[in-house]
Amino acid sequence: MKSRAEVVIIGGGVIGLSIAYHLGKLGVEDVVVLEKNYIGSGSTFRCASGIRAQFTDEANIKLQKYNIERWKRLSDELEHDINFKQSGYLFLATSEEEVEVFKKNIKLQNKFGVPTRLISMDEAKEIVPPLNTEPFLAGAWNPEDGKASPFHVVYGFAKKAKEFGVEIYEYTPAVDIIVENCEIKGVKTERGMIKTETVVNAANAWAPVVNEMAGLKRDFVPIKPYKHQLVKTEPIAEGQIEPLTCPPAWNDSYVIQDGEDGGVICGTGLEKLTHLDDVQPTYDFIREVLKWATKIIPALKYVHVVRQWAGFYAKTPDKNPAIGKINYIDGFYIAAGFSGHGFMMAPGVGEAIAELIVKGKSKVPLDWDWYDPHRFERGELRSAAFQIG
Amino acid sequence: MLVKLMRLTEHPILNFQEKRGRKITIYFEGQPIEAYEGETIVMALHAAGIRVLGYSVHKHRPRGLFCAIGKCASCLMTVNGIPNVRTCITLVEDGMKIERQKDKPKLPPTVKPPKFKEAKKVSGDIVIIGGGPAGLMAAINAADAGAKVILLDENPMLGGQLVKQTHKFFGKREQFAGVRGVKIAEILEEEVRKRENIEIFLETSAIMLLQDGDEKLVVGVRKNKELIEFRGKAVIVATGAMEKMIPFEGNDLPGVYGAGAIQTLMNTYGVKPGDRVLIVGAGNVGLILAYQLIQAGVDVKAIVEAMPKIGGYFVHAAKIRRLGVPILTRHTILRAEGKEKVERAVVAQIDEKWRSIPGTEKVFDVDVIALAVGLRPSIELLHQVGCQIKYVPELGGHVVIRDSRMETTIKGIFVAGDSAGIEEATTAMLEGKIAGIAAALEIGTASSEWFKEIEKAQKELDEFRAGPFGRKVLEGIKKVVVE
Repeated sequence: MKSRAEVVIIGGGVIGLSIAYHLGKLGVEDVVVLEKNYIGSGSTFRCASGIRAQFTDEANIKLQKYNIERWKRLSDELEHDINFKQSGYLFLATSEEEVEVFKKNIKLQNKFGVPTRLISMDEAKEIVPPLNTEPFLAGAWNPEDGKASPFHVVYGFAKKAKEFGVEIYEYTPAVDIIVENCEIKGVKTERGMIKTETVVNAANAWAPVVNEMAGLKRDFVPIKPYKHQLVKTEPIAEGQIEPLTCPPAWNDSYVIQDGEDGGVICGTGLEKLTHLDDVQPTYDFIREVLKWATKIIPALKYVHVVRQWAGFYAKTPDKNPAIGKINYIDGFYIAAGFSGHGFMMAPGVGEAIAELIVKGKSKVPLDWDWYDPHRFERGELRSAAFQIG
Repeated sequence: MLVKLMRLTEHPILNFQEKRGRKITIYFEGQPIEAYEGETIVMALHAAGIRVLGYSVHKHRPRGLFCAIGKCASCLMTVNGIPNVRTCITLVEDGMKIERQKDKPKLPPTVKPPKFKEAKKVSGDIVIIGGGPAGLMAAINAADAGAKVILLDENPMLGGQLVKQTHKFFGKREQFAGVRGVKIAEILEEEVRKRENIEIFLETSAIMLLQDGDEKLVVGVRKNKELIEFRGKAVIVATGAMEKMIPFEGNDLPGVYGAGAIQTLMNTYGVKPGDRVLIVGAGNVGLILAYQLIQAGVDVKAIVEAMPKIGGYFVHAAKIRRLGVPILTRHTILRAEGKEKVERAVVAQIDEKWRSIPGTEKVFDVDVIALAVGLRPSIELLHQVGCQIKYVPELGGHVVIRDSRMETTIKGIFVAGDSAGIEEATTAMLEGKIAGIAAALEIGTASSEWFKEIEKAQKELDEFRAGPFGRKVLEGIKKVVVE
């Protein structure tokens, strides 16, 4: 293990690895990623794989518009097929009031170049053939939204980062961050000390623990782990439920075919504030999610569930992540608290943080003020990011 | 014509004419096929000469039976329009429509949403998952120790793998020495059925095991459609084992069967697995299988064994040799050949580094390759609920950490039989007895008198494992038993 590094990133999920990759690409030598388990194991591998620009505020729409452009090129860039597909997101309205809300959101999204449009249920049925159209009035459809394989993305970022000389230490928990006179001196791990002046907290649900290591208050960025679950069915023929299909009024329930094997991933809003060791799937979840999934796609009643798992939405009070520099400690950065959106935001956020570290600014259209990690202690909250689940 | 060819009419030990239910008709891709009530879909198909049950979705390679007890995915077919049904544990019904799958299924575009009902709820003191030798003994003893027992099994009959064991057991008289496995299954089933405090659920798969407040919840699905919530104060997992596969070219061809699947075909349902068989593995399972095949009138061409010595009991090996079946030690299977199913097997001698020696290849003209290469414990439910797991090769793979009374690292969850570590039916029965009593003691229905019974069973286990064949198991047990 290295005893000194230019940058130490704590957290080997998609965000930490994206930052590492982009630092490597910018020519930073001696980047180390510390992962307490194996890469992707915290939240990335547990996510539902969706990528969307259908948000309801300027900052998130702009960032995600940019991110989708990044996703489109990412397989080529990483020289690894990450299975990105622009299969769209289809939100379904169950009432006239909701249709009005959809229209308002679509207008905002269109303003920033996201081509969402309101579609009829006939058109929705063409996009998702086994859809139960009867309960819905209209859909909000952005064909540019999509999905990618969390496994291949993590692997692709890690592989390319290593080619740039990044060292990834798995099963190596950080245990302390040494700070003297508001300057970072190093990171203590279970396998020894790494001297460094720059640390990125990319630990998402575990980020408060990392902040505490640096001497900050645990709730400096108040991120809380909410257990979310998913079930996945046996594979079915591709092309049936390709978009993420979600009636938000039905407890944020959604279905989406896995881009790799065609299995149907089903989620719902049932969540539980929990502790960081609790990823135990529950029976009430599977009952709840299948109730909604078979209402959205009735023919799913013929399909067997083969898997159920849990992971965390690392939620901040306004469901927007904390991204940027932490002013109390020189060389300390954070990109955490993604509240369920870390996977879809990873390419652009990684690029932005890497550029911030190296150049002090970034060309990524990321609104630093919006995501400012200091906003919570100032008592400023953003409008809540539009969240499924 | 094929129908008569594959059905066994005469057998020295078993009488299938008596056992078979009412004759009905099922439809395989539109073609009517004769079947008997009480048999599983795949048995009826096999009896009609249908061995190719489907095709893999990506490379469209033919798929046939492998485990025949619902543990693998080799026999999935579309039944009455429902894809991916395990045809090896689903019983035939008159008029049933069975289709092979070639591609991933397509959903019908217009279907009525299902009515969402509350699940059926069943409560007891102890829920036992698995009705094989371990589960049956656990049920009998837990019931006698005062517990209300719920016993479930995903197969259509009780007895687990005993229902296909035509050989006589060893051991002591109280361990059914000299009695055939099939008979032991009957005796244990009778004992279970005459106890009023045991409720039995067959064709019921346990799909989830959870801690639910102070209780344990076992989520079950009966006959592929009915959801049942089983609740109890304790759970005993006696889910048995799964046949191991070894890598060789063509190992997915229909006709490459697990040894247990062949026993299920011929000993449980009276269907000939094929005409000429090569057996891989000369442990007790391989040796006994050879004898049973010969009893069913099937030609056993050879047994190959990679180890330099025969693994099974000498008496079994001697019997096989007397019947003229060559046992080739230090040999392995190189490949299975055939277009849609096994037509030939190529074997070769191996050197001390386990590499095949060129020039030693032998070709056997067989239509069945039986793999008797060991078992691994079925620990899925125990793993899912969060029991501590350890890899112990002596016990067949991943097993749970447990104490000497078969309780896992989760209080109130017990394990017994092959799912606790691969051994045999005799030890499974003893472990089942211990687990059943220990569970009853823990939930407070049994008096402390019952401790003596546990000690007795533990002593019998020690004695049984004291022989040379128990040495490996004892090494393994040392690694998983904690106090």
